Formats: sequence, structure tokens, C-alpha cells
Amino acid sequence: MNLAAARGGSSAPVAGEKRMKPRLIPAILPAAFILILAISSGAVPRAAQQAGKSGQGASASAKDAIPFPQVSRITAEEVERLMKDNGNVVIVDTDDPEAYAAEHIKGAVNIAYDPTVEAREQDQLLSALPGNKMIVFYCNCSHEEDSAPMVMEMWELGYDHDKVKALAGGLTRWEQLHYPLVGTDIDKDTQKGY
Amino acid sequence: MQIQTQCKIPAIGVASSNIVHYATGYVQKYQTGMPIRYVSVPFPFTGQPKAVDVGYVSGKDMLTGQPLMTAVVNALTSPLTAEEKLSGKPPEEAAEPRLLPPNTEENLRVMFEDKEWTDFNTIVLPTERRVAEMLKGTSHKPDEVIKTINITGGARQLTVEKVAISAVMAGASPEHLPVILALATQAPFGNSTSSMANMVVINGPIRNKLNFNCGTNAMGPYNRSNAVVGRAFTIMSKTAGDLRNNVNAWETLGNTMQYNNQCYGENEEALPEDWAPLHVEMGFKPTDSVVSVGTGWSSIASVGASQSIYPTHHLMRDYISSFCASGSAATVVIDPTVAGLLKDVHGFKTKAQLSEWFSQNVTKVNASYWGNGVIQSTAVPFALAGLEPYASWRKLPDDALIKPFINPKAIHVVVSGGKVQTMWFVTDFGIRRGVKIDDWA
Repeated sequence: MNLAAARGGSSAPVAGEKRMKPRLIPAILPAAFILILAISSGAVPRAAQQAGKSGQGASASAKDAIPFPQVSRITAEEVERLMKDNGNVVIVDTDDPEAYAAEHIKGAVNIAYDPTVEAREQDQLLSALPGNKMIVFYCNCSHEEDSAPMVMEMWELGYDHDKVKALAGGLTRWEQLHYPLVGTDIDKDTQKGY
Repeated sequence: MQIQTQCKIPAIGVASSNIVHYATGYVQKYQTGMPIRYVSVPFPFTGQPKAVDVGYVSGKDMLTGQPLMTAVVNALTSPLTAEEKLSGKPPEEAAEPRLLPPNTEENLRVMFEDKEWTDFNTIVLPTERRVAEMLKGTSHKPDEVIKTINITGGARQLTVEKVAISAVMAGASPEHLPVILALATQAPFGNSTSSMANMVVINGPIRNKLNFNCGTNAMGPYNRSNAVVGRAFTIMSKTAGDLRNNVNAWETLGNTMQYNNQCYGENEEALPEDWAPLHVEMGFKPTDSVVSVGTGWSSIASVGASQSIYPTHHLMRDYISSFCASGSAATVVIDPTVAGLLKDVHGFKTKAQLSEWFSQNVTKVNASYWGNGVIQSTAVPFALAGLEPYASWRKLPDDALIKPFINPKAIHVVVSGGKVQTMWFVTDFGIRRGVKIDDWA
């Protein structure tokens, strides 16, 4: 994702330039003007970005380190208990809409984690989540690589650190415990409900 | 795209006529590696009677002039054209140099405007010498990447040097650079078809050090630091964010607040006792210098002086109720005299108490809440998924009153102004956590 190497500009004046004011030449010529941006040389194709999704987590995983250690985790057991006890918890699925439609924790809403989207665009969704409830983000990934960044984004929006957490083990752990799931890929007959 | 590649089902896109060339332009065409064919219908279709939308479907494709459904079938079945068979990088992706060749000032100004690298006010041209001088305002290296900005079709790295260039263009001095670099972590500014704007709030000792205006005319064109820092945010957002009119900037009316992003300082010295500055409420130390960015659309002024017959916070409540309440966000900017009234006369001992009061007392007619387009795209999916309170609100009668500002922490209070009038603004701006300026010195 690095920018292409910057290239120096020609020091020669533009040939045939008729509008150039002679008295300005000394002031202008010694200093080539700097472009603000390289229109395309810095652009990373979105497909490549998507391929890099969860890259930070994957890298950390390879080193046996938990990514985003500053993000509090909550166990699936605790979440299930909260859901049963008083329902004072909001579950947020961070997978893409197709995956969410296929399978998600019962009662979860979907706010997909997409590192290619400007944070401000997602803020409208994230900040609509109630501030007086526990909010738990989960992903279908091994070490909360997608859910943990969403937790941190919630902090940026002013949500209390102790009220926004990532589900440890994500969807996989929830499935292992046979807790309720819904979606087009879920066999309703084998699911227990609340 | 997924339908085509994964399900092996031919697919096309349908885009409204106002933005279809965005969809068919190179950035979208190549971002997923293959072009998608489009047909186009008139705009707007939202808010229209059903008969109008049906007419669009039975009408003509805005791109080809064919009957829409004929165009759909043709797009799905006709062989690839020579252009569609092309592979490799599109011609538009040719790299541009870091340095421009020398030219006259006049020609360069024209070039900068042609490329939309300006806000169309006169800029200071960013020569190497000027940018090098600007970079003396920070200890950070020029090639340090501040953030990667996602632009249409890809991403771009915003470096310290590029921000310094924007700072030069905006007319800033090296001592402004740490503020502008901190601001760059929040770039680009909000850009939406719904004509967003931003608010930049300065807190901490830097206000006095750089003489930011926190007093009379704090939000007006009367101060250099307020002017150049706010403007730099616009220039870096437009350039690094690649925001070009009708190319990828689609604010239908635009917003004049985008020229300066309402950059002002909080009048911390005039805060009532126990009213904490904005950055302290966010968890920073009072001695930290912090810049915070809000994003929203609207601002309503009190216009006249506060009246004893109707408490000031009640009038604020009434005005706030006209906002859409997206994200429960509001920011109230008040003169110190109003802050004094609210504390001493009406008993709000802290800003948080005032925010809580707004959360509990701002009401909105249910139909009006759901009648907003932003709410439709944010709260409706939540309601359909059963998330409260949205699910229950959806079942209420149209004329029911709801309290849509459910999160008092999203309601900010900022004290600014010169104690000239009991004046205030209520806005729908949501402010993200601030950024420490000292980290960019």
C-alpha cells in the first residue's frame, strides 16, 4: 500500500510558454512546485485492500499474540447469560451482509466491518447504538480481528470503554456452545431459543 | 459483482441518472477488476409516488435511450466490447510526479483550480522552500504516513509532507502545523450527498499560544489561526481525499460551512465552575492541547437574547427537536453568559447534566423521525432486527412522541464567544474523540 516513489520534475520551463511574466521568473524558477497528491500512483485498488482485510490480526496471530489487546473481551457464556437475564445487551455482527443473512447470533444487528470505508460513513450507524446498554461486537474470525477495531471506533465516538466489548472467539465460539443462531443456513429445528 | 463471479449469474447495475457516470467511470469500473454494465433511471426515485417509479421502469434507459427492460436484457446478453476486453491498468492510473515543473504563478493557479486542488479562494502556492519551512513546525518526518485515506476505487497515504503542503496553501505558519497534523488524522471531512459539514474545536493551552479566537466572533472571519487551520482541513480533505465536484463529491447543495469547518476555540477561561472543557470531558488532561472534529449538517441560532419567560434550555430543546437525531448527535455552542444562566439560574451543575436533560426532554413526532432519509438508512435495519428502542418506535402511531436522542454522551456542549449577547447555536453535529496536538509537535 505504499505510494509509488516520488519522481522529480523537470527543471526546464514549459516550452512555448507565452503567458510567463519575465519579472516573476527569478521567483518561480528556482522552486519547483510540489504536487499535493499523486492522482493515481498512490491509489491502492480496493480489491487489494479487501484482500488485506484482517491483515493486522493475521499477522498478530502468526506471532501468537492477541490482536488489539487493549480491547476488552467478553465470553460467549457471559453474553448468553446477559441475553437471558435482562436482554440489556446489544449484539453486533461485523460480517458482510451476505454472511450475516446466512448465519448470525439471534437478535444481532449487522454493521459490517469494512476497512475501506471512511470511519465517518460508519459513524452514523455505530452512533445509533444505544449508549445505556452493553454492546458486544463479534466477527467470524479467530482473534476478533474485525470486531475489535469496531470496539475502538465506538470509543472514538464517546462510548464507555466498559460498555463496549468484543466477543471472545466470535461466532465460532458461539457455535461450539450451541447457542441460538438464525439465518438462511441455520436449521431452525436444531436451534434452541430464548 | 459477487453475483457474477461467485454465483456465475450475469448481472448489471441500475444507477440513477445523476450519478451513473460515477458508476461507469474508471474508478468504479476497474476497482473490482472488471467492468460492470449499467442501465440508468431518472432521479429522484425516493419520495416519489409509486406510479412515478413504475414509469421509470416502463420508460427509457437514460444511457442508451432504449426501453429500460430492453436495455437490461441487452446489457445482460450482448458480447463483451473491445473496451470491455481490455486488461491491465486503466490509462487514468498514470502516476503524477511529486514535483511540478516550473511555471508562472498564474498558470499554476489555473492548474490547481483545474485539478480542484483548492477551495477556489486564493492559495499560497506550495513551493519546495515554503513546504520545507512549514515542516520545521513538527519533529515528524515528511514521509511519515498519518493515515491511509480511502478514496473511490482505492486508497491514498496521507503523509506529513502532504499535510504541510495543504498548510502552506491555506496560509498557515509552521507553528500551526501540529494542529493541522492532528486534524489530518480526521481527514477527509464529511462528504455526503446530503450536504454535510464539519466543526473543528480547539481546546487546551494551544488556544492561547496560537491566539485562536474563543471570544467575540469566535466562529466568524476575524482570526488568522481559526481561519487557516479550518481552511487547511478543507484543502487536505479535497486533495488527499480526491474530492472533486460531480466526480466523487456529490453534496447536492454543498455547505458553506465547508470553507472553514467552523474552526473555533472553546472559551475555557469563561466556563462556569465545574463545567469541564470539551477535551476534559473526553478524558484528556486540562493541560493537553486537543483538536476535535464534529460532523453534521445543520445549525440553528437563538437569534435574540435569552428571555426569562421561557427558559433558555427549553428553547434549545425545541430547536434541537427539528434535527433528525441521527446517532443521537447534537452539539450546543453557547456563549459564556448562557452557560452562566444555565448553571446559576436553571441549576445545570455540569455539562453532562445539561446533555442528560436534552436526552430526556427532546421529543419528536414519530412520523417525522422516520421520515428522514438518514434515519431510514441507519435506524430501520436496526428496527427490523428487533433492536430497541427502534423496533418499538416503528410500531407506534405516526403522531406519537418519541425521545430520539437516546445517548446523552453524543450530546456535546461547547462554551465559546465574547459575552456580548446571550447567544447560542444548537447543531446536529456529532463530535468524535479529540486528537492530542502535542503528539504532532
